[in-house]
Amino acid sequence: MFKLKIAEIAGKNCVTSEGGQKVYDQIIPRLRSNENVNLDFDGVSVFASPFFNFAIGQLLKDYSPNKLNELLSIINLTSNGTSVLKRVIQNSREYYQDPRAKKAFDDTIEKEAEDK
Amino acid sequence: MSIIKQFSIPTLNDNPTDFDKLCELGDLVHAANSDVIFTFSDCQFLRPNAIAFLGGMARIVESKGRIVKFDFDTAPDKVLTILRQNGFANQFGHSVFSGPGRSVPYREDRIEPIRQANLKDEIIDYLTNEWLGHGWVHVSPRLRNAIVGVVWEIYDNAFEHANSEIGIYSCGQYFPRLRILQLAVADFGIGIPENVKRYLQEKVKRYLPLKLPSASCLQWAFQEGASTKTQGTRRGLGLNLLKDFVNLNHGTLEIYSQDGYALVKDNKERFHNRNSLLQGTIVNITIRCDESYYCFTDETSVGPLF
Repeated sequence: MFKLKIAEIAGKNCVTSEGGQKVYDQIIPRLRSNENVNLDFDGVSVFASPFFNFAIGQLLKDYSPNKLNELLSIINLTSNGTSVLKRVIQNSREYYQDPRAKKAFDDTIEKEAEDK
Repeated sequence: MSIIKQFSIPTLNDNPTDFDKLCELGDLVHAANSDVIFTFSDCQFLRPNAIAFLGGMARIVESKGRIVKFDFDTAPDKVLTILRQNGFANQFGHSVFSGPGRSVPYREDRIEPIRQANLKDEIIDYLTNEWLGHGWVHVSPRLRNAIVGVVWEIYDNAFEHANSEIGIYSCGQYFPRLRILQLAVADFGIGIPENVKRYLQEKVKRYLPLKLPSASCLQWAFQEGASTKTQGTRRGLGLNLLKDFVNLNHGTLEIYSQDGYALVKDNKERFHNRNSLLQGTIVNITIRCDESYYCFTDETSVGPLF
């Protein structure tokens, strides 16, 4: 199993897309090799959605939720971090995994433009 | 000999009409192609949004090679006290910095690549220690971190989307009688409506979304998952997380961007078009300090995450 200490890569404040991308870049080669990955959030205290969008939400572009549940595990994530992460996963999953949600979203944009 | 034009700063609260006054002052200052001196004789009070805006406006004038001065000797005691406490006066040449009092320091942030890694930590520290750390709001460290993470989304939006070359300006204030704590973040970049219009125009090439009213653009930006950035991954949660927090806290979130205005209050969102045009965006967040208003739901990672 590949273990990754997030604080060592992104610091104690996991709030930026740049920090998230660094984590993603570490995870993705392991997942491609079908290796289990463990993310340890010990020492991280502040979380925001841009970080999780890039670190984890982005994974749903190429991997199914089932596959990620099988390969990716998370430890020492605070309750608030878990709350933000779940929101990001829901948002990303709807977009990447449910084509109808993506279509509905794009339709909203088009309709908004068309109505004016 | 260079010409110096004098502008009197009026009393500036944080009602929509006060933003009209700010925009009007900004227009006059931009139009005056000269050095500028601001006076405070007509000013009885300044809220954080006005202070953040004034600081940015001064830096814009300076960036054009013109001189800006604030005549602090004309400021009534109440105004001068605030400007000394939050460090604004000190930033603009006044010798006395009197400590924070009930003010959250005025700060200026520019995106310089060499400082970028430290900048987020500096701003997180600012929110943690200078905004929430004075004991005005009694929250546990865990809850404080959660609030800081949500409010960081304001900065992230400004850094990611605004392209504000002149920087991002913040200021805050605690109002003990009202039991509220404010933070204002101003940028002088592209503006949310213009960003949304550009995105829509690119996305829906056959239409002319540039005719979209700013209120509609702001409403679009508040949709969960709506983001004008398409590179990398799905985004667009920041405003929703902010909105949810403000609703839980019975607080207020206001966004003035170009001629659009968004208000989140009492579990309602309102979007309006305004007559005055702000060159950029001001986000004003007001939170209630009573602990009973803080009730984030605890989440655990039991069960499958995805």
